[in-house]
Amino acid sequence: MDHQARETVGYSFSESTASGVKQHGFYPYTDNGGSTLGITGSDFAILAGDTRSTSGYNINSRMVPKVFKIGGDDETGEGANIVLSVVGFAADGTALKERLDTVVRMYKYQHGKPMTVSACAQRLSTILYQKRFFPYYVHAILAGLDEEGKGALYSYDPVGSYEREQCRAAGAAASLIMPFLDNQVNFKNQYIPGSGEGHALAAKKAEPLPLETVKGLVRDAFTSAVERHIEVGDNLQMVIITKDGIQEVYHPLKKD
Amino acid sequence: MGSPFDINGGACVAMVGKDCVAIACDLRLGMQALTISNNFPKIFNFAPSTYLGLTGLATDVNTVSDLFRYKVNMYRLREERHISPQTLANLVSSSLYEKRFGPFFVSPVLAGINQTTGKPFICGFDSIGCIDFAKDFIVSGTASDQLFGTCEGLWEPDLGAEDLFETISQALLSAVDRDALSGWGAQVYIIEKDKVTQRLLKGRQD
Repeated sequence: MDHQARETVGYSFSESTASGVKQHGFYPYTDNGGSTLGITGSDFAILAGDTRSTSGYNINSRMVPKVFKIGGDDETGEGANIVLSVVGFAADGTALKERLDTVVRMYKYQHGKPMTVSACAQRLSTILYQKRFFPYYVHAILAGLDEEGKGALYSYDPVGSYEREQCRAAGAAASLIMPFLDNQVNFKNQYIPGSGEGHALAAKKAEPLPLETVKGLVRDAFTSAVERHIEVGDNLQMVIITKDGIQEVYHPLKKD
Repeated sequence: MGSPFDINGGACVAMVGKDCVAIACDLRLGMQALTISNNFPKIFNFAPSTYLGLTGLATDVNTVSDLFRYKVNMYRLREERHISPQTLANLVSSSLYEKRFGPFFVSPVLAGINQTTGKPFICGFDSIGCIDFAKDFIVSGTASDQLFGTCEGLWEPDLGAEDLFETISQALLSAVDRDALSGWGAQVYIIEKDKVTQRLLKGRQD
C-alpha cells in the first residue's frame, strides 16, 4: 500500500482504495480523566480526588475512587498509615496501588514494624522507574505522617521523579487547581500591607494551615474545577490522615 | 509548528464587580520560549470607559487594535458620540467573522461601563467573532486554564472597586506564574462610572 500511495498524488480520498488490508492498532494507554489534590498541615495530611471515570466524552462510572489506603491489615485498609492517590490511566493506577500495597505489607511482615512514609516514598519512586520504558501512566501522590508526626506529602511524575511538598494538584484539572493553591496555601503573590516600599515589601510567609481551613480549600478547589472541566465531577473523596488514624469522607459534586 | 495562538504567549482577564469592571493583562512578548519584551501591554482604550484586551499572535494583536482604532474613530466622527461597550462588542464580532476563512489569531476580551445605562459589561470572543456574554469573568490567552481555576476560586458577586482590583490582580498573577509563556509584570484597569484607575504590577520576573 505504501509504495503505491507514494506514487499517486497525496489526496486523502484516493488512498483508501489503494489497499484492502485492514490496519489494526493496539493502544496500551487510555486517559481516564479526573483530578487529585493533596495538602499537608502541621499534624495532618489530606488527599482528595473526584470519583468520575471517563474515556473521551463518555462517563464510565460516577464512583471510581482514586485515593487508596496502603499497607492495611485487610481489604478494608484498616491499620494503614499511608495513603496513595493515582490519576491518569486507571488500570495502571490500580496495578501500581496493588504493587505498593503488597510491598508495604511485606515490609511489616518481614521487619515487624510499619514502613515509614519516607521509605515508602523512595520505594514508590523505584517501582515507577523500573518501568522507565513502558511507564505506569499515572501522576501519583503519596501522603502520611513523617517520623516527627508532621504531615508529609510526596508527588511523582510517571517515571518516578519525586519531591516532598506542602501541596500538589494532579490530573486533568491540575492546571486549574495548582495556581489557586499557590495563592491560598503558600500565599504566593501576597504581601504584608505597609511593610515597606519596593524591594523592602515583605512577602506573606507560608505557614501550616488548620485542618478545617484546608478542608474548605479542598472543597472550593474541586467545586471550581467541576465548573470548568468536563472530566471532573460526580463525587469528592477526601481522605484525612491524623495521628488517630485515617478518616474517609465523600461529598457530592455536580454530575453534569 | 505550534498553534499561532501560543507562539508569542500572553494572558488577559476581565471581571465584573458592583458598579465597576476590571480588565487586566500580562506584559510578556515572546517567540516560543525566548522572551523578546517585558513591556507589551495587550489592553487598548476605545472610549472613556471601554477597553479591549487582545491575546494571541502579536502581529494580529497590533493589526486588530489598529483596525478597531480606525473603525471606532470613524464611528465617533459619523455619530458624534462615544461607542458603547455593547456596540463595540458587535463591531468586534462582525469584523472578526468577515475573516471567517482566514481569521486573525486573537482572542479578544472586552470590558466597560455603558454610560447611558450605567451598567457594567464584559464579554469575550473566539477568533471568528462568537461572543461569550458572561456575568462573572472572561479569560483568554495561553494561561486561560490557570485563569479559569483562579477566577472560579477567588471571584465573588458584587465586589467593590478596591476588592475587585485585589481579586483580579491575585487571579492574574497566580495564573501567569504557572504558565511559562505569560507573566513578566501586569497591567490592571479598574473602570468605575466616571473614573478609571490604571495600575502596573511587578510580579515575578521569570
